Amino acid sequence: MAAPLLDLSGITKWYGTTRALGDVDFDLRQGEVHALVGENGAGKSTLLAILSGVVAPDKGTINIDGRAVTIDDPSRAQALGISTVFQELSLAGALTVAENVFVGRAPTACGVIRWSELRRRTQQILSPFGIEIDVGRPVDRLPAGTRQLVEIAKALSLDARILLLDEPTSALTSDEVAALFDIITRLKTRGIGIVYVSHHMAEVFRIADRVTVLRDGRRMTTRAVTETSIDDVVRAMVGRNLEIFAAETALVPGPVALAVRGNGAKGKSRHLELEIRFGEVVGLAGLMGSRRSELARSLVGLRQPSGGTAIEIKGRPTRLRGLRDAMARGIAYVPDDRKAEGLFLSMSVTDNFVVTALRRFARLGWIERAAATAAAGRAVERFRIRVPSLAAAAGKLSGGNQQKLMLSKWLASDPAIVVIDEPTKGVDVEAKREIHKEIRRLAAAGKAILLISSDLPELFTISDRIVVMREGQIVGDLPTRLATEESVMALASGIGHKREGEAA
Amino acid sequence: MSVDEVGRWPSRVGSRVLRRFVETRELTLLVLIVAIIVGMSLASPVFLSLANFRAIAIGMAPTVIIAVGMTVLLVSGGFDLSVGSVLALASTVTALLLLSGASIPLAILGALALGVIIGLANGIVVTRIGVNPLVATLGSMSIARGIALVLTEGFSLINLPPAFGWAGRAEILGLPFLLWVALALVVVFDLAMRHGSFFRQLYYIGSNEKAARLSGLAVDRVRTLAYMLSGLLAALAGVLLASRLMSGTPTAGNALELQVLAAAVIGGASLRGGEGTVLGAFLGVVFVALINNAMTMLAVSIYWQMIVTGAVLVVAVALDMLVRRGDE
Repeated sequence: MAAPLLDLSGITKWYGTTRALGDVDFDLRQGEVHALVGENGAGKSTLLAILSGVVAPDKGTINIDGRAVTIDDPSRAQALGISTVFQELSLAGALTVAENVFVGRAPTACGVIRWSELRRRTQQILSPFGIEIDVGRPVDRLPAGTRQLVEIAKALSLDARILLLDEPTSALTSDEVAALFDIITRLKTRGIGIVYVSHHMAEVFRIADRVTVLRDGRRMTTRAVTETSIDDVVRAMVGRNLEIFAAETALVPGPVALAVRGNGAKGKSRHLELEIRFGEVVGLAGLMGSRRSELARSLVGLRQPSGGTAIEIKGRPTRLRGLRDAMARGIAYVPDDRKAEGLFLSMSVTDNFVVTALRRFARLGWIERAAATAAAGRAVERFRIRVPSLAAAAGKLSGGNQQKLMLSKWLASDPAIVVIDEPTKGVDVEAKREIHKEIRRLAAAGKAILLISSDLPELFTISDRIVVMREGQIVGDLPTRLATEESVMALASGIGHKREGEAA
Repeated sequence: MSVDEVGRWPSRVGSRVLRRFVETRELTLLVLIVAIIVGMSLASPVFLSLANFRAIAIGMAPTVIIAVGMTVLLVSGGFDLSVGSVLALASTVTALLLLSGASIPLAILGALALGVIIGLANGIVVTRIGVNPLVATLGSMSIARGIALVLTEGFSLINLPPAFGWAGRAEILGLPFLLWVALALVVVFDLAMRHGSFFRQLYYIGSNEKAARLSGLAVDRVRTLAYMLSGLLAALAGVLLASRLMSGTPTAGNALELQVLAAAVIGGASLRGGEGTVLGAFLGVVFVALINNAMTMLAVSIYWQMIVTGAVLVVAVALDMLVRRGDE
């Protein structure tokens, strides 16, 4: 039998002291779709990054057509016939489809672009796949699904033999997904191998030939989809013993702090009801595209609640006029992107800590430095944030410590209700534990907490209840001790379409 | 502090002191300023004289006042090209009001109010409509200058009431009143930017606007107020200039915005926002003024002075970038 198109063996990658991948084997045959699944942090993105030349593995070999290769930068990956379609699309919005497909390689005559030739060649690439787009249109006038196709066309124009697709359907409608799958099928017949990364089990079982499960940077299993089942794959993804805080510490929750009421939009029977009580942690689960972030942002005044729903704070219907309004009502929002939305990286630890409570640390408009520093010092101690000094720039801290600083900063304003988005993204295990304990402590102190996380074990570790969202609706609301990772996954991805354990 | 860090401290102390020195822009500038003064005192007999220093002080006072507002704006991530034009417009409006019989306080208030209104307009266009500050204030720069020229048909307005010239001529404790005003503003705003709860917000906004918004700061309101402050201070500089020259001059302050920006950036402000101090900007103005004065003393042509100022700006920023890159 001929050598596989792509063959990885013993791939290992460390980020500092965190092992992202350990001794992972992976192979891809011609004309095959090989799905790569796993929870967040399982190592899928690292594997893709290695294949596309963005990061180099610490150990392991990569063979293409049986020959050993090194992929040390993205252009090398391209030369080897590997093209990546990342989640964040890399198109120039103002330029036309044709220009995007042939970026940097447009046909020219004496340095002048030959527009008709460019359009013709683009058509040539698109038409075999039945993709019908006006190639002269600017990309940002196209719907999201079509843009994804342009991205794929761009990859094909580079004569890619190996296509890496990272969550290609997260922004697509079901029609667009069907069109994409149609194209994938045609690509297979041309012998192109596809690595397909996805959270959606149903899709994986529809389109993939084989599936490899990663967990905590290790390969758990590789099976033909015909020889396995969604249940087996999900079990391989999540199976582990969990340390559950919730059960031991759960108190009798207090009155309802924050609630979303009402059946949602436009005729469809959209179900969107949620209650969070003082003293409890409610975990919000859902896959990409489940709109749980939108729900969270509407709870803190950052966007209008979706049609037909209303927000109640402490039992009273409230229209939030913005985040400041929400803060004035005792709600804090800890965003997920600590670098872009959470911290002021060039400013000191103290400055970062006091920002939400500038007024509290000021007298007659003058900040009392001593009081601010003392309060920041107490927070650093309490959250065990490891800092060189209180005057050090926040950007110098490690990811876990930045995350703790961010949490402490929003608690400086002493909110009664806290909405936390992905509190442990990219932090090490130890910091994660401390953050989890801190969140439990907040609940024990009577605060109402909504936790949004893509990390299922995390939800199970600290939530009292788990609420599952899919496509903008709440499809499950169950006490953590009655939930299993399998049942949450099933609800989130819509397998079985059953509604479990609705809260009474 | 962990043992590890304590252990590493001694070996790094030398480079830290050096870095601290380079990082503290004010200190670097101060040393350079002293160096220029010492060097020039040796090179030119006229340089180290009260008359020369007074001339420098009076000449740079309007620039200092405007640099205060510009720094506040730069820190917030904003930018104001209209300051030179607002200075000219304020000077002509004061003169026009005085010539039409308005009392001196009324004329001054009128001009200051106009500066605030232009700043408000800049602020609204930038924050609410989302026009890039460069474009927005390039527009208002042209409009304000145009209005000043239309109002005066391009001529300077003279024959202002003698009492109006007090501010431009007066001396307190042997120093020009103009200098006192500029210094007072520098001290007040430098302290406010370091300790004032309102002005501290500007650093957050300039350093990460999105995070500032999500931290509950009233980003748009604060930024608009910074534009208004810049307009107000530019107008104040215009009123004081009119008092000193005893005329309303529609062509005054040409290219002043670039000088002010250069001084603020030399003084440590960043065009990306989040960084800079009023004291640094003040020292930047002094530094540039001294260099220009030195070149005049050494009989270098005024045209060459422009070239040197530009070169100093680029070198200062380039050095800053290099130091930062070494940091990473």
